[in-house]
Amino acid sequence: MDREVLRRLEKLNQLALTEEEKNDFLAFYAAKESELASLDAVDTENVERMVHVMPIYTVVREDVVIKKFEREDLQKGAPETTDGYWQVPRLVE
Amino acid sequence: MKYLLTEQASTAGKSVVFDDMILTKDLPTTAGSKMLEGYMSLFDAEVVTRLNAAGYTTVGKANVGEMCVDVLGESSAFGASTDENGKLVGASAALVAKGDATVAIGLDAGGTPRRAAALGGCVCVKPTYGTVSRFGTVSIACSGETVTVTAKTVADAREALAAIAGHDEKDGTSLAEEKCALVAQAPVKASRVAIAKSITESADAEMRAKVASVRAALEKNGITVEEIDDTLLQKAGTAWGILMSAELCNNVSRYDGVKYGYRTKNYKTIDELYTNSRTEAFGKLLKTVILYGSETLSTENYMKVYDKALRMRRVIAERFAEIFESFDAVLMPVASRTVFCPKCVAKYTLAYDEQLYTAPASITGLPAVALDGVQLVGKAFEENKLYYLAEIVEKEAK
Amino acid sequence: MKEYEIVIGLEVHIELATNSKIFCSCSAKFGGEQNEHVCPACCGMPGMLPVVNRHVVDLGMTAGMMLGCHINRTTTFDKKSYYYPDLPGSYQTTQWFAPVAVNGTVKIKTSKGEKDIRIKQIHMEEDAGKLVHDDWTDTTLVDFNRTSVPLIEIVSQPDLSSAEEVVAYLERLRSLLRFAKVSECRMEQGSMRCDVNLSVRPVGQKEYGVRTEMKNMNSISAIERAIAYEAARHIDAIENGTEELVQETRRWDDIKGMSFAMRNKETAGDYRYFPDPNVMPVVIDDAWYESIESSLPEFPEKKRERYITELGLGEYDAEFLTESRAFCDAFEEAYAECGLAKEAANWLITNCMNLLNRKQMTADMLKINGRALGVLIKLVSDGTVSHANAKKILEVMFDEDIDPKKYAEENGYIVSNDTGKIEEVVKTIIAANPKSVADYKNGKEKALMAIFGQCMRELKGNCDPNVLRELILKNI
Repeated sequence: MDREVLRRLEKLNQLALTEEEKNDFLAFYAAKESELASLDAVDTENVERMVHVMPIYTVVREDVVIKKFEREDLQKGAPETTDGYWQVPRLVE
Repeated sequence: MKYLLTEQASTAGKSVVFDDMILTKDLPTTAGSKMLEGYMSLFDAEVVTRLNAAGYTTVGKANVGEMCVDVLGESSAFGASTDENGKLVGASAALVAKGDATVAIGLDAGGTPRRAAALGGCVCVKPTYGTVSRFGTVSIACSGETVTVTAKTVADAREALAAIAGHDEKDGTSLAEEKCALVAQAPVKASRVAIAKSITESADAEMRAKVASVRAALEKNGITVEEIDDTLLQKAGTAWGILMSAELCNNVSRYDGVKYGYRTKNYKTIDELYTNSRTEAFGKLLKTVILYGSETLSTENYMKVYDKALRMRRVIAERFAEIFESFDAVLMPVASRTVFCPKCVAKYTLAYDEQLYTAPASITGLPAVALDGVQLVGKAFEENKLYYLAEIVEKEAK
Repeated sequence: MKEYEIVIGLEVHIELATNSKIFCSCSAKFGGEQNEHVCPACCGMPGMLPVVNRHVVDLGMTAGMMLGCHINRTTTFDKKSYYYPDLPGSYQTTQWFAPVAVNGTVKIKTSKGEKDIRIKQIHMEEDAGKLVHDDWTDTTLVDFNRTSVPLIEIVSQPDLSSAEEVVAYLERLRSLLRFAKVSECRMEQGSMRCDVNLSVRPVGQKEYGVRTEMKNMNSISAIERAIAYEAARHIDAIENGTEELVQETRRWDDIKGMSFAMRNKETAGDYRYFPDPNVMPVVIDDAWYESIESSLPEFPEKKRERYITELGLGEYDAEFLTESRAFCDAFEEAYAECGLAKEAANWLITNCMNLLNRKQMTADMLKINGRALGVLIKLVSDGTVSHANAKKILEVMFDEDIDPKKYAEENGYIVSNDTGKIEEVVKTIIAANPKSVADYKNGKEKALMAIFGQCMRELKGNCDPNVLRELILKNI
């Protein structure tokens, strides 16, 4: 990974690293990449991927409306609201 | 740093301290992050409701590392918790050890609760994935994270686990009631234990001595202990490092300064609001986890990194299944060393290295009981055998 | 100038007609005050876990079957990550790896004849919130009411080649999905939205041209205009080199009649899809599959044909009824009750439609008990209730589920067969209107109508008009 890739990665994740953090991250990532090679030693060509550790399926609920929360409470900790809306800087489309 | 971030008036009887990863209606929940400083949840976690209903009074919320993915709380925005000798401690385990709470409830994805208990004189039970509701926990890595119980004794932990294990329709990964009920059963005799050879050998001398003394204790009580080849289990740390980072990256993307929590003062545009809020509020380790996790999911890397890790998960689970055909549990150290001082964690990504020890049980969702520097990892729903073995260790340690 | 062909693929988003949202129990109802239908999950707060609304899967499957798709018996959910203020978790849960339905076909009819449009896939996902741009404070305001409202996205293959085909395709989708009660498909309320992927290439060229995606179209006519504009822009760029075409997302501005490149976050970067660990795979077993299959409605054109050939309706009536599922349902129920197809069609097309128009409602909003309507039609046809009174009863039936017969009895709307009583009324009215009687006798036919009207009023309309007429003539 180079600095340009890292710059895009930071942007994608809405983070801005300091110079020191950047250097440390690049070193960390390089170490991780060499670790990944050790996984390649295991042939997983015909192994099914395992997303969930427990084999349960079709966990569904009925289509019923339940109202438990009020807007006023949900916005108590909000940094900025107007008329019951959350507020952010004007978006440019 | 004191161990409790917030506390409630103490009362007599059974009590519980919650890691600050567990949402409480009456006390703030920070997840150890400046991002959530002062955050008030509108609801209690299911574990809080259940424990309070079972008569455990809430003592308070214990300090944790940011999003609980570090070694022992060193990344907390509110300072690391240390003991009188200056070594790092898991705050909630320390409170239990001191007798300030009967049990501590944590969330284990990166192994912190197990590490904290086994290095801090307590017992931590990480039950089979899906048997305790994760509703109301601050998500770390949902595919493997499990609510844990830490107590002074195996019996105390089991008693609290009995109160919280159970089906919860608010958690889509929650197992059926009859499955959940299996995890707090009384101890059942076990006879064969495997030692993860290479993992044990990679720990320091003091830690290896711990494993040896546990082995001796087990053997003294008629348990057969054998070393096994753990080549595949050793890969769990890397594989889980990938899955955990990617999931955490996604889980903390909700913390953006818009709806609640920390918002930077320094912004004009929405991008500045996002970037500055997150950059100012998140610590260095969490930023590393986010970026690494994000990169494992990139179009370029997905198949060779993330998808590979998902396949490795099955390989590791199948290796465990094979081991459990001949053994009741796998014994391994809970960490690379018995003591972590602030200097040891100067390598801020040390928690990734420590995954070698805790990830085998995390990535597979298998139950583990951690105590006395070690952990016993068992077959799903066979916590009862782990209790039997752990009680031998407990008895011999006295 | 070379000849060009336009290549269009559509992504159509349709909000599903469920009561609650896809992953939480908040109301999915359209409207409401800002941030009224919201819970901690809808505002991205920690701690809530998603549990799938079963009915969303029902409707996803229904849509798939209506569009001739293969249903994936194991369907899974994935997370798609990007930052935008209308996305509270900074991720959308959607289906990337195993969507509910794949490989379908939709038949369309245009002036050029019939054509099959292939469906690539249909996936289930959650909607985003709504952003309001406030000029006054120069801020953007966020409303999470629509957050997590269930959607299906129907992705077509690039098989469409004109605005006319696009319109025919959209109308066909709307008709089928309304019929199957998957969605109300109201573009003006945003419950049907459309992204247009368009490229042009010289006729005969195999490779596709540069593709642009247009968003933000909220009516079929806007889509027609957007396609015309965008195709012309592409051709102009190729022919005259007016600009360099780039693959990008563009926003259609219907007022300016132009498309603009979007610069927002959503168009940039990598979505980093991965399987959602909190949502277990949904496995559709045979029983579930069959229950949906057996509940599918007859296709509208099948119905139309059956109404004409089996029930003897005229083409206009059959066409009118089959434009709306609500009308078909009411018609079929009424017909089952009264056995009078023509009358049932008439009552719906004339009287019910008038009432809807008066209330400024559309055909799909008809909520009448079809069986009760059948009863009412029977009461009229056997002379128990007069046509005029039946219309009054119908008006009540629009608001309440009443038994028309009981209601007629209780409100004095039953036609009297007591000729003695009618004659008594006739005699009284004649006696009271000597001038009208004289006029009639002097050859003014109209004067009889006045007497007839007064008698009818006196009898509250509960009288066979022919009987009344005869009795007036007899007594005058």
